[in-house]
Amino acid sequence: MEEHKPFTWLGDLGYPEPVLTAGLVALVLVVFAAYLRPKLARAEQAIAPEEGFTARNFAEVFVEAMVGIAEGVIGHDGKRYVPLLGSFFIFILVANLIGLIPGFTPPTADFNITFGLGLVTFFAYHAYGTREHGLKYLKHFLGPVVFLAPLMLVVEVFSHMFRPVSLGIRLFANMFADHQVVEIFTDLTKVGVPVIFYVLGAFVAVVQAFVFTMLSAIYIALAVAHDH
Amino acid sequence: MKRFGSMGLSLLVLVLAAAPAFAAEPAGAGDAGWHHGLIALAAGLGLGLAAFGAALGQGRATAAAMESIGRNPNSADRIFTPLIVGLALMEALALYALVIAFFLQGKV
Repeated sequence: MEEHKPFTWLGDLGYPEPVLTAGLVALVLVVFAAYLRPKLARAEQAIAPEEGFTARNFAEVFVEAMVGIAEGVIGHDGKRYVPLLGSFFIFILVANLIGLIPGFTPPTADFNITFGLGLVTFFAYHAYGTREHGLKYLKHFLGPVVFLAPLMLVVEVFSHMFRPVSLGIRLFANMFADHQVVEIFTDLTKVGVPVIFYVLGAFVAVVQAFVFTMLSAIYIALAVAHDH
Repeated sequence: MKRFGSMGLSLLVLVLAAAPAFAAEPAGAGDAGWHHGLIALAAGLGLGLAAFGAALGQGRATAAAMESIGRNPNSADRIFTPLIVGLALMEALALYALVIAFFLQGKV
């Protein structure tokens, strides 16, 4: 059973499949945004929301939720980080959910892609911390008391190095294991029972996207924090 | 007399348990059998222990969240987010063991 790779739409094209699927996800999001932009730019409908489940309502609810997360975790300055956090959430969410469509493997089931996302968070929160504090940002690594500084430096460096790895492994292991479970159960029981695993898969997809975004927001909040 | 009997029995068990080690020396395939067996055992047991620890921690976190929601039902929304983040952090620890189990399972 290990030799038999299941059929996927993008699997045999000669390029690595996770990269192609991630590109497809990005394409879908860009097309959605391009479709949505002219609708949002019409001024006379800006205040009153539309009825029903439209693209504009979805986008407005989503952005409000992201601003709520950013301001809840980071504080009153949170709005400037919403583009990054919102991008993380919507990309990871759509990437996870595309695995539920038969014939697609979620690109986040590949450690290279999730580690790349973790690295983006890593560089982002250090960049934001340096932009906010200047060179005094390095004092964060030295701990509260000055004579503990060498020990605290080692501990802090290790803990910071581990963060993108843990973000990447968490997302990768969740999506990979979940996709394997869906694959195996669909192979064993062709009809009916996989629905349960689809529900689990959808739940895990949303929760993992949310947790990744929350942790990125928390790391940014820790880097940007002013203690006054 | 009973002491002799139990000591004799344990000595017999020890000698019999050492027999596979004697048999494995000339044949190299016996070593590979132990090797694969231990790797498989490590993968399975490690993951089981990690899942056990994670389940304990998550149970405690959820119990505390349930209790505080019971005391103050209006706080359910504010408790939900930290609960989910805490559960995911504990889950991640079990998932590290799962990743190692996958590596090991590939080497069996």
